[in-house]
Amino acid sequence: MKSYLLSPDKILTFVKELSRDGSLYYPMFEEGRTHLVRFDDAHEFKPDFAKIRTAENIKQFFFPSRDTVAKFPKDDVRQVDKRYLFGVKNCDLRGVDIHDRVFMGWEPVDPFYKERRDKTIMISADCPEPEDSCFCNLLGLNPYGDAVCDLNFTELPAGLLFESYTKRGEEIIDAYKGMFTEVKNDDEKARKSIREKAITKLSKINSKPFKKDLPARVEAADKARIRDARDECVECHACLHACPTCYCFLLSDYKKGKDIERVRIWDTCYYAAYARVGGGANPRSRIDERFWNRFQCKFDFFNKYENTLACSGCGRCLLGCSAKIDIREILWNL
Amino acid sequence: MEPINPYYPIPVKIKEIIPETPNITTFILDGKPFDFEAGQFAELTIPSVGEAPFTPSSSPYDDHMEFTIMKVGRVTDALFNMKEGDLVGVRGPFGKPYPLQNFKGKEVFIVGGGVGFAPLRSLFLALLHDLKNYKKVYIRYGARTPQDIVYKRLIPEWQKIDRVDLLMTVDVGDESWKGRVGVVTVILDKIPVDVKTSPSVVCGPPLMMKFSTQRLVEVGFKHENIYLSMEKNMSCGVGKCNHCRVGKFYVCKDGPVLTWQDVKDIEEPFL
Repeated sequence: MKSYLLSPDKILTFVKELSRDGSLYYPMFEEGRTHLVRFDDAHEFKPDFAKIRTAENIKQFFFPSRDTVAKFPKDDVRQVDKRYLFGVKNCDLRGVDIHDRVFMGWEPVDPFYKERRDKTIMISADCPEPEDSCFCNLLGLNPYGDAVCDLNFTELPAGLLFESYTKRGEEIIDAYKGMFTEVKNDDEKARKSIREKAITKLSKINSKPFKKDLPARVEAADKARIRDARDECVECHACLHACPTCYCFLLSDYKKGKDIERVRIWDTCYYAAYARVGGGANPRSRIDERFWNRFQCKFDFFNKYENTLACSGCGRCLLGCSAKIDIREILWNL
Repeated sequence: MEPINPYYPIPVKIKEIIPETPNITTFILDGKPFDFEAGQFAELTIPSVGEAPFTPSSSPYDDHMEFTIMKVGRVTDALFNMKEGDLVGVRGPFGKPYPLQNFKGKEVFIVGGGVGFAPLRSLFLALLHDLKNYKKVYIRYGARTPQDIVYKRLIPEWQKIDRVDLLMTVDVGDESWKGRVGVVTVILDKIPVDVKTSPSVVCGPPLMMKFSTQRLVEVGFKHENIYLSMEKNMSCGVGKCNHCRVGKFYVCKDGPVLTWQDVKDIEEPFL
């Protein structure tokens, strides 16, 4: 695959150019956490591409936590602007991959998700310094973008070394080709070394792989009604809201003047009323059933449906957990 | 072509309201917002209150759409306050219908409980439309009391139809009731069909579905021939919001009609 080098003195110009075409978001480290912030000329551009994924997951860009999806009785068309996500990480790309399958993979295609996806260009960055909460390697992911993204770059002393994964990515490289310089052998070697180091670090953090038949083990535990109830769970739902692959939502209607607005809101399967029907029957009235449903959904059901696990290994769930429950331990022990 | 908005409900007026029982009412819409097949469901929007899933109770061949609905919660409470001429919204059709092609030339054995007769009426009317295609249609229906029987105004006519065999029972009778008394399984004591080949269809409250299905399995219906209308909390209707997932199915998209073969490994599938 062909690589393209953007020297350090050109990065700001490149970002400025892109931000003229659409709003651009990049990771900035602040008070111990990385956040995606919107680039604007008036503020200093202080990216941090070396840190792990941002504190917030990126599903908000495609599937906002609160989104008007219809108006009644007369619907209208809502426009979305073009956007660049510059420097996102591969775990979050896995989240987008899962959402692509749900919202665009089977009929009907979700028009709101699709429009945002079509209008958002994803430029991912290598993740050279995985932290203890990271476990993307257990899900078969690399600590760098190699699918789903339009472009991926590795941060090197010589600049940002890009590779393109889509036609859109090629078009960006083409449009700004004057900015890129020739790639040297040493640059590619440096990239290789950074990636190897990151992979080694990940395998030290998570030296024990998940068992190959993890979905079958989840299914077997379910059939045996073995649910790791985890009394510590306080049902704060942080794990689910922070999760880049969770896609549950609820449609709620609100009166707005004479019209009704139908709003799509993130939902989570830990709510007691989540699956309750009008007549009162509830398939998961107990917390152990709901707690386990999360595992069944991600590691059994989604695998049956789409032949992939609906987890990205981003570690947000275990960092966000009020009770310090580590999803890895539950899966390792199955 | 731009994808259409699957969350937008088509506005339609309520044309007629027919109370069936003290807490079950049939709402006849002014027209048919979309075509559907028996067993497919729709999301009914009550403006500014919300929406809930219901299966039409009218024939797919009619030029209007009907829903027979029990008053159970927030959305249905609001619906029961509506009047003829009021505007509601409808989305659909969602999910897979009853596979009528598998019923051809066979005896169709239908078991219903309470308001579960609503989707079964749609199925029954679809079968009546081409009755010559089926050997015989059996209906076994149970309600709590004689007062709670839905379609009292229609049942006597249905019972007169050749090749239709309709029996009823009530959990608790009264002086006027001359028929069987007991839960629906009391009229499943004798099942006069060829259980090896016949399809059976069950719809009703969770316990009724559980015990009726047990009985059908016991007398030898094939697991893949027992069709169950699964009641789950469908919000989006299009296999995205995840609320109705049970086992490996999105009930809204892969159901709502699933077979006992599909769901028998699920713990308490009817809950």
